[in-house]
Amino acid sequence: MDVIMIVEDDISMREMLTEALTRRKYKVIVAENGREALLKFKSSLTSLVITDILMPDEDGLKVIMKLKEMNPDLKIIAISGGGKAGPGNYLSLAKALGANEIFTKPFPLKALIDKTEELLRSEQSG
Amino acid sequence: MIDFSFRRRKPRMSRADTDKSLLDYLFRESRAMLSIIDRDGRYVTVNPVFCSYLKVKEEEITGRHLSDLWGKETFKNIIAAKLQTCFSGQTVRYQADFNIGSSEEKYFEVTFYPLKNQSGEIVNVLAESLDITELKLSLREATRKEEDIKRLEMTVPVGLLRCKPDGTIVHFNDNFIKLIECDNPDHLEGVSLRDFYSDKSLFDIHLMQMRQGEIITFSRVPLVTLSNREIKCRINGYAVTDYDNPDIQWFDFAFEDVSREVMLENRLLQAKKLETIGSLAGGIAHDFNNLLGSILGFTEMLGDELKDNKSAYDITGKILKAGTRAKELTNQLLTFSRQVEQKKVPVRVSDILGEALSVVSSLIKTGMTVRERIESSEVTVSADPTQLFRVFLNLMTNAVQAMEKTGGTLTVTLDIAGGQVFRNETGKDNSSDRYALVRIEDTGIGMDDAVISRIFEPYFTTKELGKGTGLGLSVVYGIVTDLEGELAVKSVKGKGSVFSVFIPAIAEVPGEPFTNTTDSVRIMFISGDSHESRILSGALKQSGYTVQNVTGKDEFLNIENERLANINIIIYACEEGVISQPDFYAKFIDGNLKIPVIFIAGSQCDISGEKLLNSGIAKHVLFKPVSLREIITAIQLI
Repeated sequence: MDVIMIVEDDISMREMLTEALTRRKYKVIVAENGREALLKFKSSLTSLVITDILMPDEDGLKVIMKLKEMNPDLKIIAISGGGKAGPGNYLSLAKALGANEIFTKPFPLKALIDKTEELLRSEQSG
Repeated sequence: MIDFSFRRRKPRMSRADTDKSLLDYLFRESRAMLSIIDRDGRYVTVNPVFCSYLKVKEEEITGRHLSDLWGKETFKNIIAAKLQTCFSGQTVRYQADFNIGSSEEKYFEVTFYPLKNQSGEIVNVLAESLDITELKLSLREATRKEEDIKRLEMTVPVGLLRCKPDGTIVHFNDNFIKLIECDNPDHLEGVSLRDFYSDKSLFDIHLMQMRQGEIITFSRVPLVTLSNREIKCRINGYAVTDYDNPDIQWFDFAFEDVSREVMLENRLLQAKKLETIGSLAGGIAHDFNNLLGSILGFTEMLGDELKDNKSAYDITGKILKAGTRAKELTNQLLTFSRQVEQKKVPVRVSDILGEALSVVSSLIKTGMTVRERIESSEVTVSADPTQLFRVFLNLMTNAVQAMEKTGGTLTVTLDIAGGQVFRNETGKDNSSDRYALVRIEDTGIGMDDAVISRIFEPYFTTKELGKGTGLGLSVVYGIVTDLEGELAVKSVKGKGSVFSVFIPAIAEVPGEPFTNTTDSVRIMFISGDSHESRILSGALKQSGYTVQNVTGKDEFLNIENERLANINIIIYACEEGVISQPDFYAKFIDGNLKIPVIFIAGSQCDISGEKLLNSGIAKHVLFKPVSLREIITAIQLI
């Protein structure tokens, strides 16, 4: 059973993603911020991370960089609803840093799940 | 008749004693230099004042010729002729300056009076020299002061004006003429200052306050110039009274045009306000997107659970649709707060402007004309073409709507502007020295200042309820400021508006201009007949393509395949009211159609573009809002 980590500071989003992925029979680990994500990641067998970009305590971009350092093959999906501070959208930056896929909130759930499955499949075959 | 005949030296006293005593009296008491001169031009006698001025004794003077005292030249050139005239019977008066004793220059008014003897014969001349040095100097000082004041009036950057107590203008300087935009000063004759006040009653209040006798400053008084433009002035006023008359003679005013100062202050205030609203809107949109994400996600899950219960499943579909509309809204708010990434590439402004113009031309009604002046067709900026298109389309659509009832002219111009123009018009510091300047001008209903100050705020609209979201201009603002550009608005209620868009120019990209190869390309445009699709299809026609519109759910299904054989490209706009995707594909597969499809995905489409491409039917997937340029590029690529 694949382990997916959800890094998201917004509780409603976190619960929704957890529910959706649990229904697909994935094991879900949640983290409310980047720091927690990095701590939990070390002791887990996470094969895919879905992370928000703008969060308190280590933003998503740093999380992506550090996770990629720890495991270059890790699959990462970045999600964001537009920045609270400053211009620009960080999603393309996330992609440049190694995120496999990016989604702008709100996104069709089906699209996210399809992408998740696709990435996990490619991991198994590769 | 008094006998004034004198002789040199001991004159014979052949005249009345009274005459003698009168002359003696005069010689003794007068403050003027007095002398009596005979026909030979010699002094017969002089008074003590004369002696004291010249620091001589009387006996040193009497009998001496005038030229001895004043010099041969002066006598010959000035005095001789005048003496002669006097001896012919006329009183002669003239002014002279002499150097007496020291180097001190003195001015005199000299009068020669003819003196007659008892038989009426002119025998002598009485010369009276009045010292007018002080008068002359103070006059000269007064003239100098007057000249100073005149020069000051000309040089101070202030409009000066004097009016009568009833307001009638009596005097003004050049700057006042400039200030009120008067081309002929004669036009101000008899005009009252009251006429220039926007609010006439304010003028009376000002005069009343000025009667207190102090200099009073009135700030930001709205005045109307002769070219009917409103300006804001700082006015200093003072009531002038005469020396011993308490009645007010004049009102003096100094005017300073502070319109620009007021404008800059307002701009700054506006920009700050928009920034605040922007971060608020951006923050709300961000949180809202999270909530929306979870609502939509859970609804999708619910939909999966309810697949067997059709009526319940349909409801989840409706929730999803509403949520998608909410998403569009937050997206616009994020664009306004500059939190949506623009994919910036070098864009030739004239290309995008041309596209927007061709789309807008479908909105032009009778009574409206479009004028286009592209001065700098090569000017290039770094921008997201779709977003830039959106900016121009929005501004042009607004311009056309402003003229809906009245008709008028839409003028679109493209120029290059320097930093100075940028600073003057936007009130901000320029980040670039070269800007692409697009002006979109209408002669429609116009706006007043209260509206202008708020138009870029999200949810501010003057359109009828349901006609506009109130987000259009706020999105335009977000896009332009994200390009480090600026928007400036000028508008006069009832006359029209000008929107100026400044975008920093970049080096021009050499290469072939953007051209369309539209010949003999036949397009079938399948849509739900949305406003956007209609505009797009109209624009394609304008660009020279043959376009067949297919709308409604069944129309496409009923088209015979032979008719489709004619078509080179199908554009399918996934939107409300259009034939459903499965039906669309079914017809394709059943009919074994090989026509390339351009798929326009709206937010209602939950199928990712990649999937469509993989299915092999869609050659290109474009996401709304789609610019004409995008779609033409897609057509050319096929």
